[in-house]
Amino acid sequence: MAIKQTDAEKQQIATLVGVLDKRMNRQLKQYMDICVRCAICKDACHQYVATGDMKYLPARRAELIREIYRKYFTKAGEFMPALYEARDPDDNMLDELYDATYACTGCRRCTYYCPFSIDTGWITATAKGILIAAGRGNEILGQLADAALFKADNMEMFGEIIENGFKDIEAELREETGRDIEIPVNKQGADILYVALAGSHSIKPAAIIFDAAGANWTLSMFESANYGFFLGDPAKAKLIADRFMNEAKRLGVKEVVITECGHAYRVAEMFYEAWAKEKMPFKVRHILEVIDEYIKDGRIKVDPKAIKERVTYHDPCQIGRNGGIYEQPRDIVTAIAPDFADMTPNREKQWCCGGGGGIVAMEEFNAMRIKSGAEKVKQIRATGATILACPCENCRLQITELNEVHGLGLRIVPVMELVADAMASAGREPTTT
Amino acid sequence: MDWFSYLASGIGVYVALAVFTLGMAWRVYEWSRTPKTPVRLALYPKPATRAGRLGKLLVDTLLAPQSFAIAAGIMIAAFAFHFAALAAFVGHLRLIHEFDFLVAILGIEGMNTFAAWSGGIAGIVMLVAVLYWIARRTYGPYRKLSTPEDYLLLALLLGIVVMGDHLRFVGGLHAETYQAWFASLMAFKPAFPPELADSTTRLALNWHMVFVNAFLIYFPFSKMTHAVGAFATNAVRSSE
Repeated sequence: MAIKQTDAEKQQIATLVGVLDKRMNRQLKQYMDICVRCAICKDACHQYVATGDMKYLPARRAELIREIYRKYFTKAGEFMPALYEARDPDDNMLDELYDATYACTGCRRCTYYCPFSIDTGWITATAKGILIAAGRGNEILGQLADAALFKADNMEMFGEIIENGFKDIEAELREETGRDIEIPVNKQGADILYVALAGSHSIKPAAIIFDAAGANWTLSMFESANYGFFLGDPAKAKLIADRFMNEAKRLGVKEVVITECGHAYRVAEMFYEAWAKEKMPFKVRHILEVIDEYIKDGRIKVDPKAIKERVTYHDPCQIGRNGGIYEQPRDIVTAIAPDFADMTPNREKQWCCGGGGGIVAMEEFNAMRIKSGAEKVKQIRATGATILACPCENCRLQITELNEVHGLGLRIVPVMELVADAMASAGREPTTT
Repeated sequence: MDWFSYLASGIGVYVALAVFTLGMAWRVYEWSRTPKTPVRLALYPKPATRAGRLGKLLVDTLLAPQSFAIAAGIMIAAFAFHFAALAAFVGHLRLIHEFDFLVAILGIEGMNTFAAWSGGIAGIVMLVAVLYWIARRTYGPYRKLSTPEDYLLLALLLGIVVMGDHLRFVGGLHAETYQAWFASLMAFKPAFPPELADSTTRLALNWHMVFVNAFLIYFPFSKMTHAVGAFATNAVRSSE
């Protein structure tokens, strides 16, 4: 017998169904309708493989949304809810939905292996919208997103502090390289707007490279990280990306170059124009595309034997499977490290390291997150490498933890840092080959 | 025709075909009138040209090489079933119109032998695949993922295949008998020829048709819409 719903519960259900309705589009509708629950995705998901917990099985994550969909968006489910397991989003469901969706790293490895290419990452993004409407959005991600927006709205408070920070980095560069490398900001007419992460590690190597290549560049006042995207709030995600996109328009740059940060590249390249409903007057590239071009065009000189140890490379899901950047990073690494060993599997089949989707910021998933890195650890071990080139901040955070827990003895570095090292050693000892 | 035969193998066939056709048309219309997502959802690598994307769409949908690579067992069962079902479907077309060119090559005796073997093999393959699926759902770790809908569809398929196999292996009637019944259906005057009306095989045929009709009626309201939808979702995988 059905338990009678209170008015408050009815109102909540109406709100959540409204969110699903607002987010409905052809692809989502088809993903809702056609899943046959074959569970081929079980072997694709690093979290399910590591834990065996049903709530992490991709089809099950999506099935929760399907249960609401069938009840409120299909006549068959409305009339025969028992046959379709169509049901209301009650507290029990929302609890499971929270774990299933905020844990999802959005790597889309399940999409790759699905016979119908069902995009569970897209479904969990929708699920996050439902959780936010239910007042169950992840708090930390929400706070981080709001902090980014607060900064954008109050630049009179932050502008000087940020610019002083850049001056400090210039001083560090002078000390380390013995050269005056400028970090231009707000440079009208620059060709490149470089969007870095907060922290000198993503600015210094890029500055060295841009400077050596003679690029006409300028640094964005804003960092690339987008916690609105991880939170699952497209409106906030757009506002956060607006910060550097508007800056790029104002400065009249030819391209926006995103630092070694997976989701920021995907936000800027795959989503932003659709969100903004306008074509941007510049292109978006990943920094490794630019560096690869500089090396191949001879605009920067690198020592081909700069790195003596064995190096392997991790494809971050957001720039690899979801962004199409596979070869440029490998070409860069092999141009500076003679002993390169790829992981197996790699490229589009690469295992997610377990650190995507903002999960590294959510403490409640810490234990599961570390456990879910098991496949990555096996892959890295098998290469015998001591250096991991890794162009994504979240992947680096996750693999750094895996490195400690499993004692991998690995040095985890951004690709551009290796390049900057190889440029330094090219300057010191001219190569003969 | 008695009332059960009339319901199962007469009027029921028309109802089932009408619901199936209109239902699927409605589902496709519903999809088409829902706006496309504006964001780019492709997976990489993807072909650069239109022809390449079309080719990849067909390979991904009809052969699903990625799925094979990760889950060979279920994919072998799925392929065996889908191809056997396709073969069985093509075989049934013989009841609408005899494959004259095959009869010309094989002779009528040879044609019947060929049909007996090919239909028999397809029927057994489908039976094994359906039993495997039922077992996988019931005893596998995916029990919690399965819904009553999954079992209903498998039960209907099992009914279709078991009764179909009965007609093939036990029924003892040849194609001409069923051709006569099919002709009556197409003339909108459903009737069984005497060989069928007077035989107990009639019951097996009626039950075969009960399951077929139920399956066709349920098809548009179930996950069976993957038969059409998979082409659309796999196209998104390689979209621009």
